[in-house]
Amino acid sequence: MKAISVQNLKKTFRVKTKEKGLKGTFKSMLKPTYRSVEAVKGISFDVDEGEVLAFIGPNGAGKSTTIKMMTGILYPDGGSIKVLGIDPTKERKKLAYEIGTVFGQKEQLWTHLTPYDNFKFFGAIYDIDDKEVEKRIEDLKNRFELGEFINTPVRNLSLGQRIRCEIVASLIHRPKILFLDEPTIGLDPVVKDNIRKLIKQMNKEYHTTIFLTSHDISDIEKLCKRVIIINNGELVLDDTMENLKYHYLNKKIIDIKMRDDGKFSGDDNVKVLKQKGNNYKIEVDLDKTTIGEAMKSFDMDSIQDINITNVPLEDIITTIYQRSK
Amino acid sequence: MFREIKKEFKIISLSTYYAIQREMLNKASFLSNVFFMILNNLSMIIQWIVLFNLKSNIAGFEFKDILLMWGMAAGTYGFAHFLFEKAFSLSSLIVDGSLDNYLVQPKNVLLSAISSQIGVSALGDLIFAYIMLILTGVTLPKFLLFTLFIVTGGIINLSIAIISGSFSFWFKNSDIIEETSSHLMISFATYPGGIFKGIVRVILYTFIPVGFVTFLPVELLLNFDLKLMLILIAVSILFITLATFMFYRGLRRYSSSNLMIARI
Repeated sequence: MKAISVQNLKKTFRVKTKEKGLKGTFKSMLKPTYRSVEAVKGISFDVDEGEVLAFIGPNGAGKSTTIKMMTGILYPDGGSIKVLGIDPTKERKKLAYEIGTVFGQKEQLWTHLTPYDNFKFFGAIYDIDDKEVEKRIEDLKNRFELGEFINTPVRNLSLGQRIRCEIVASLIHRPKILFLDEPTIGLDPVVKDNIRKLIKQMNKEYHTTIFLTSHDISDIEKLCKRVIIINNGELVLDDTMENLKYHYLNKKIIDIKMRDDGKFSGDDNVKVLKQKGNNYKIEVDLDKTTIGEAMKSFDMDSIQDINITNVPLEDIITTIYQRSK
Repeated sequence: MFREIKKEFKIISLSTYYAIQREMLNKASFLSNVFFMILNNLSMIIQWIVLFNLKSNIAGFEFKDILLMWGMAAGTYGFAHFLFEKAFSLSSLIVDGSLDNYLVQPKNVLLSAISSQIGVSALGDLIFAYIMLILTGVTLPKFLLFTLFIVTGGIINLSIAIISGSFSFWFKNSDIIEETSSHLMISFATYPGGIFKGIVRVILYTFIPVGFVTFLPVELLLNFDLKLMLILIAVSILFITLATFMFYRGLRRYSSSNLMIARI
């Protein structure tokens, strides 16, 4: 069964425009003018149950708008959405029992309460009886190592602990799909790693479908098997991470350290990115040549060290963003 | 349906309980807010003492009736603000995109949003209201009627706040409508209904329905009429239905936002 099915989804916002200065302010008060901003321009995609999907794009691409339409926050202007077979525009409450949401930029927890009290409150929101909530809190506390701070008011927690609690709070009703919008925003690398482990664990143990947006490419690389890229409200790419890497990783970066007497004869298919003395950093386009051919332009006997790496995924994604502008 | 109402009621009670807990973090501030609101309202009575020294009857009201009227005005205001403070800043909730959190929960969005904060000083208004009732002489039927009218009037106050706040779904800078309607409701509520005639009276029973918040309830407390009481209850139901309808109609236009927001 499909966890999510989106067909030709559209959303347009009406934005008031104003000319510069005081004159412009008065003018816009007397005769307001508006322009339409097409945030989402008819996108379609499906997500399978248990899948971990990255939904990425540059700022203003339409990611959050799409998530908000799928979770029932915003009404679409066109197209259809089915989340677990439920239409969010018609059965928002029914859907809410089945999904969890974490918006990294928005806090759902009451800051003066402890995580424990917050979880109890969320339990009540989802109509879970007290005994069952206690059991689930105990289970989540142990599973996600919240023991140390479960009775500390949220306002006294570190950002990492808070986000961890936000995620756990969204799990109290055991959602089938979890929407995570920038869950690792502003976190240090160690905490980011903990959050990623938590997400992985959720997917593995509860078979939760994860719909993730993030600007942190490591999040995507470490968690997701499939990626959808959206830009200017349009779907730019929908592919597996594996395919993304194979199709787009057609360039290799080679760092070569040669002895002083070593020579580099140059090659049209080899692009020198950096040169310092007899140390070279080159880019080889595998569509045009092979690593072996590229290496022939170097004096092989003088090579002291060699390091071949892929172009970073971040660069690939940046290129895709730029191409789709 | 009753199970649904029970569940919603449980959430509102919990939400109010936690909101009180938050305000009680600073007990001195909590108590002084309540105390000074009572004092503030009492100071308003002084001008009426002066007026009644000059004249024994104003628009058919004696001094005791004025106290009852002030009690009703403060009580209805206190009821609405104490339990549903956020309804009076609904406009900013809509514009800032703060409804997102409530929209992803399986509960009534409007109720969850407006009950997420209490008005501490409004507790002072509620206490003041019952002090006024005691001063005018309390009996059990009068106490029950007074409480009922605080609820019906409070619901009308709340409805006006929701209606004016919901304009923000259509016009982004409508917080001025919200503020003005709130001020108008308070200003007219503290004068005897009898001084308003003609078109003003019509307005006070329609667009600015202070008539149903204080004038008619005070009238009913002085001279009970079952038919009028039922009309009053029906009117408050009508207003809250209209407010709910308008809010949900507007919600389709809700555009959210990506502002960084914390629940504090």
